[in-house]
Amino acid sequence: MLQSLTGLALALFMWLHMGFVSAILISEDVAWAVARFFEGYFFLPRPQAWLVSSFVAVISLLFALHALLALRKFPADWRQYRIAATHGSRLRHGDTVLWFVQVATGFAMFFLAPVHLYAMFMHPDLIGPYASADRVWTGGFWPLYLALLFAVEVHGSVGLYRLAVKWGWFEGGDARASRRRLKIAMWGLIAFLLTLGLTTLMAEIRMGVEHAPRAGERYVPTWQRGVTAAEEAR
Amino acid sequence: MSRRLKISVFRHNPRDPQSVPRLVDYELDEQPGMTLFIALNAIRDTQAPDLNFDFVCRAGVCGACAMVVDGRPGLACRTLTNTLPDAFSLYPLPVFRLVADLSVDTGRWMRELAERLQTWVHLEAEPELDRLEARMEPALAEGVYELDRCIECGCCIAACATAQMREGFVGAVGLNKIARFRLDPADTRADADFYELIGSDEGIFGCMSLLACNDLCPKELPLQTQLAWLRRKMAGQGIRWLRRR
Amino acid sequence: MRIEYTDVLVVGGGLAGLRTAVGAARRGLRVEVLSLVPAKRSHSVAAQGGMQASLGNAFKGMGDNEDVHFGDTVRGSDWGCDQLVARMFAHMAPKAVRELAAWGVPWNRVQRGAHEVVINGERVTLTERDEAHGLITARDFGGTRKWRTCYTADGTGHTMLYALGDRTVAEGVPVRDRSEAMALIHDDGRCQGAVVRDLESGELYAILAAATVIATGGFGRIWGISTNALINEGMGAAIALETGVARLANMEAVQFHPTAIVPAGILVTEGCRGDGGLLRDADGHRFMPDYEPEKAELASRDVVSRRMAEHMRRGKGVKSAVGEHLWLDITVLGAAHIDRKLREVKDICRHFLGIDPAREWIPVRPTQHYSMGGIRTDHRGESRSLRGLFAVGEAACWDLHGFNRLGGNSLAETVVAGMLVGEYVADFVESQAGALEFSPGLAREFVGRERAALESIAARPAPAPGGDSAASLRREMEATMTEHVGLFRNESGLRSAVARLADLQARARRIGIASRHLDANPELVAAYRLPRMLALALCAAQGALERRESRGAHAREDYPARNDRDWLRRTLAWWPTGGATPVLEYEPITVENMELPPGFRGYGTRNIVEHPATALREAEVEAIRARLEGEGRARLQAALLDFRGCLPERYRGDNDRLADIEEGAQR
Ligand SMILES: Cc1cc2nc3c(=O)[nH]c(=O)nc-3n(C[C@H](O)[C@H](O)[C@H](O)COP(=O)(O)OP(=O)(O)OC[C@H]3O[C@@H](n4cnc5c(N)ncnc54)[C@H](O)[C@@H]3O)c2cc1C
Ligand code: HEM
Ligand code: HEM
Ligand code: SF4
Ligand code: F3S
Ligand code: FES
Repeated sequence: MLQSLTGLALALFMWLHMGFVSAILISEDVAWAVARFFEGYFFLPRPQAWLVSSFVAVISLLFALHALLALRKFPADWRQYRIAATHGSRLRHGDTVLWFVQVATGFAMFFLAPVHLYAMFMHPDLIGPYASADRVWTGGFWPLYLALLFAVEVHGSVGLYRLAVKWGWFEGGDARASRRRLKIAMWGLIAFLLTLGLTTLMAEIRMGVEHAPRAGERYVPTWQRGVTAAEEAR
Repeated sequence: MSRRLKISVFRHNPRDPQSVPRLVDYELDEQPGMTLFIALNAIRDTQAPDLNFDFVCRAGVCGACAMVVDGRPGLACRTLTNTLPDAFSLYPLPVFRLVADLSVDTGRWMRELAERLQTWVHLEAEPELDRLEARMEPALAEGVYELDRCIECGCCIAACATAQMREGFVGAVGLNKIARFRLDPADTRADADFYELIGSDEGIFGCMSLLACNDLCPKELPLQTQLAWLRRKMAGQGIRWLRRR
Repeated sequence: MRIEYTDVLVVGGGLAGLRTAVGAARRGLRVEVLSLVPAKRSHSVAAQGGMQASLGNAFKGMGDNEDVHFGDTVRGSDWGCDQLVARMFAHMAPKAVRELAAWGVPWNRVQRGAHEVVINGERVTLTERDEAHGLITARDFGGTRKWRTCYTADGTGHTMLYALGDRTVAEGVPVRDRSEAMALIHDDGRCQGAVVRDLESGELYAILAAATVIATGGFGRIWGISTNALINEGMGAAIALETGVARLANMEAVQFHPTAIVPAGILVTEGCRGDGGLLRDADGHRFMPDYEPEKAELASRDVVSRRMAEHMRRGKGVKSAVGEHLWLDITVLGAAHIDRKLREVKDICRHFLGIDPAREWIPVRPTQHYSMGGIRTDHRGESRSLRGLFAVGEAACWDLHGFNRLGGNSLAETVVAGMLVGEYVADFVESQAGALEFSPGLAREFVGRERAALESIAARPAPAPGGDSAASLRREMEATMTEHVGLFRNESGLRSAVARLADLQARARRIGIASRHLDANPELVAAYRLPRMLALALCAAQGALERRESRGAHAREDYPARNDRDWLRRTLAWWPTGGATPVLEYEPITVENMELPPGFRGYGTRNIVEHPATALREAEVEAIRARLEGEGRARLQAALLDFRGCLPERYRGDNDRLADIEEGAQR
């Protein structure tokens, strides 16, 4: 049950996450604002990067808890793995395959995500249009993100579908029909999130390439540019 | 028109130290309307006289003949060969103890399950046989019947990766039975009692919603719905239990 | 060698066996149950339509009671049954249904208000009473005057067997499945248990028991095409016959069910017709009313089956690649009804015929279905010649069914007889008569004999290609039975059948096997069972040959009359040790104490040779009726045939019915 709760929380968080990361697609300013928002820029006297760090810590904890619980469901040894694998391949059964997908993607994330989380935890201040783009391109994070993106979106969407059938949400009168609809929704979600994520990543990469010569420079929102210029002039 | 079928049958006699598990191919001309019941008997009559397999009702109602047909568990007696490719395999159900060849011991497994889950109506008092029977809403009676239709064939166990990996998991067959008795108004047990039986990783919380049970149950029991329903009820019971602690 | 000891050994894990075992266990006895297959796979599980009990809750069951049920049963049996047993049975059936309801059978219930049904091909609206709402309902079955058949959709046997199977677990009664009783251990007219073969390991051992109960079901598999499960090979009856002491009765009384699908021979329930389904011929014409204007499709089973065969002989059958057949039309019932009340039928049609019965007609033809005969017992279920041996259910000839059993009376018999015999067996074991000095020496001797028999089969040369094998001889037996010991019988056919079966019997004793191992080995099983099946086949064929009359399901073309004068008696068959054929004896059915003296069943034309005592008994019954007029049906009934004293005390009470309660309230 805790597995389901943490999974649900993580999945919902990932929607949010997708939202703020892809803010870059709207404009660099929005992305900057979003990032600063999480540091309390708009409601605290001074931006506090540790706010982000602690948020990351909470998510990481959730993540760890979820992963820990999930580990119990993994095939415990080679024998079980063999059984499960031959069973799965012989059975030709969609939902069983989906579960394998979850295990595989979960397993992948187990290694990939901590790197990302660690980076976010250590450098919460390095979030923003330029800093992110630099990390993605100059910092060489993009292969990691690409893999992670596929893993997390597939894992999350499949997870949500499985949550729904597991607890009987949206079941209505006809379980068969509702399950068919849920599955369509799941594929739709995967397609949507992947497209959005890939576009974002592309944008980051493009920016990263462009910005590479000036890597390390911080982004200044357009509306503050005048002010800073004036300050400098003084 | 008639096809020549090549059936690869798992053969092994666990009591014979010389026997090694192996696949043996048998060839056979397909007849119109041929079921695996007919095909296997034809093989036994002419090619492999001591081939072990179990059929009882040969009508899809007793659950004896479940085996893994071309990778998927199902009732052999009502599987028409024309739904299968030219060459396919037959294996005994996994999880259950092998008797020989395609025959497995589902009887003991199901009996142990029944003992463990106490799958019988727990009565308050002996029924009075001379008096009018207790009334029951017609729709409720039909609802109980719906869940009572399980034939203990074991397909849901064989289809479930969880059951294969985790010994002791009661599987859809066991969980469905609990759902059935929970629905039965004559059974005096409360959720707390059922929680004792299935509120664990060997019970409802071990199920990973792979749904192969639901999709391969030959009686088309609404296992998905029942498992979800039990999970909600048992989760609620679990929380109540925690709170009381 | 292993020898085990117990109080009661029950051979058979179907409804009859399990109910007996539970009854005896509740009396505090040690009980062991043997079964060829897991108990819940026993053939009882396949019964679809329902079980009769005169509850009288449904609108069309109003006015029903034990008397009406008794009358229908006796008429159905063509006066061949034991009326004392029929009385005990009719009295017990409501109790059995109510007990099963408490144990979890989700009987379909009365729904108050108007609902549409199909009767005699027409849609009719029935209005169920408010006060019956939620009580157990019933459907119509053949040969009954009221709607009396309690059911759970068309999975009645399933729900009953599962409820009883669960109860067996609840009571802690062990069931050894994959175990076959190979021989009865007996000495000096006293049964002491059985030799058991573990079908998996092949181990032979003995279970010695103060009482042994045979509940092994029917023997339909000696016919090639049968609605019976494959394990219904009659081994219980066969090992009783092999004792040379116990008697089998009425083995020629075999029921053919009108509606098994073609070609698989799988049954679709009588409930199809009970609920309004029709029989049609090649032209789509509904022909049954032409023959039986009153009851049409719902005449007694033997009658419907014969009419169907007659109609096919007139060239009205549908010719198909898999043989001739007629149509069962349940499209008139509508998809909604089929989905709820006839779903097994729907499944069977879908998987084995590839049709949807809500839209297409089902190809059917009469097919071997039920064995009225079996191990002869008294009303307590005990063999009359071998003490300590009991028989119950389809394996027994308790004689509830005489020469034709009514649909729905067999499920009822299994549980009713189980309830009773469980008590009688316990009484027996607790009594002086039941005391038994177990004899391990005897057990060893019997086990040794069986072992030698198996080893000699394994030692014989393997069947030559094209030569005799268990499979080939069995096919010949099946063909012989189907051809000559079927729906219609005659002297020359039966004579050739007897000769042919005797020849097969001799050859069957010589067959060997190719696979020589003695553990799980179907070839070995087939080889040792075949001679036993042939012994039963001979009893049936010879019994049919000798019985020169037509009664119930036994129809002799050369003797079409029911001959009460010469044949109001039961055929008893026994097999002298070492003999080549069974010996037949006869046991009179006495008219003098019948509650319902022999009469006309009401089908076709009256063709009866009267028994001299019939008229006398009729007059007597009339006189009693006149004398006790107005004294209530219980007083009258007791004066005609007193059965209550024969029942275990706990089961003697009257059955409550809604009608009586209301009447009581009004008074
Ligand atoms: C398809 C079909 C539908 C039917 N529908 C109805 C219906 O709707 N209504 C109705 O009233 N009747 C119906 N009947 C009849 C009724 O189902 C049976 O007569 C009844 O179930 C028999 O029960 P039983 O307990 O006597 O035997 P079974 O249920 O046949 O049980 C026999 C048991 O004996 C065991 N056994 C056999 N031989 C041995 C041995 N040598 N050693 C150890 N164990 C052995 C078997 O394993 C099995 O457990 C139907 C029958 C058929 C064929
Ligand atoms: C190390 C990282 C992770 C691992 C190893 C992992 C593993 C798993 C596994 C094995 C399951 C299946 C559990 C079951 O069937 O009972 C699962 C379920 C789930 N996971 Fe993850 N996961 C990880 C990270 C994530 C993340 C980041 C998300 C958010 C998108 C997520 C969302 C979900 C959801 C929604 C479920 C369904 C919950 C359920 O079925 O109860 N997981 N996870
Ligand atoms: C609170 C915790 C998290 C924060 C603050 C955070 C922050 C970010 C930021 C700022 C980016 C933009 C790229 C960058 O700056 O490097 C990003 C990208 C990404 N993050 Fe996270 N993240 C968090 C948790 C997670 C988790 C748990 C996962 C998955 C397991 C994840 C997966 C990704 C992926 C796949 C990308 C690339 C997305 C794309 O470009 O389309 N993140 N994250
Ligand atoms: S639930 Fe379905 S698959 Fe499982 S044992 Fe019962 S009938 Fe078979
Ligand atoms: S396949 Fe297994 S995991 Fe659960 S949903 Fe069915 S029992
Ligand atoms: S043999 Fe009974 S279900 Fe297949």
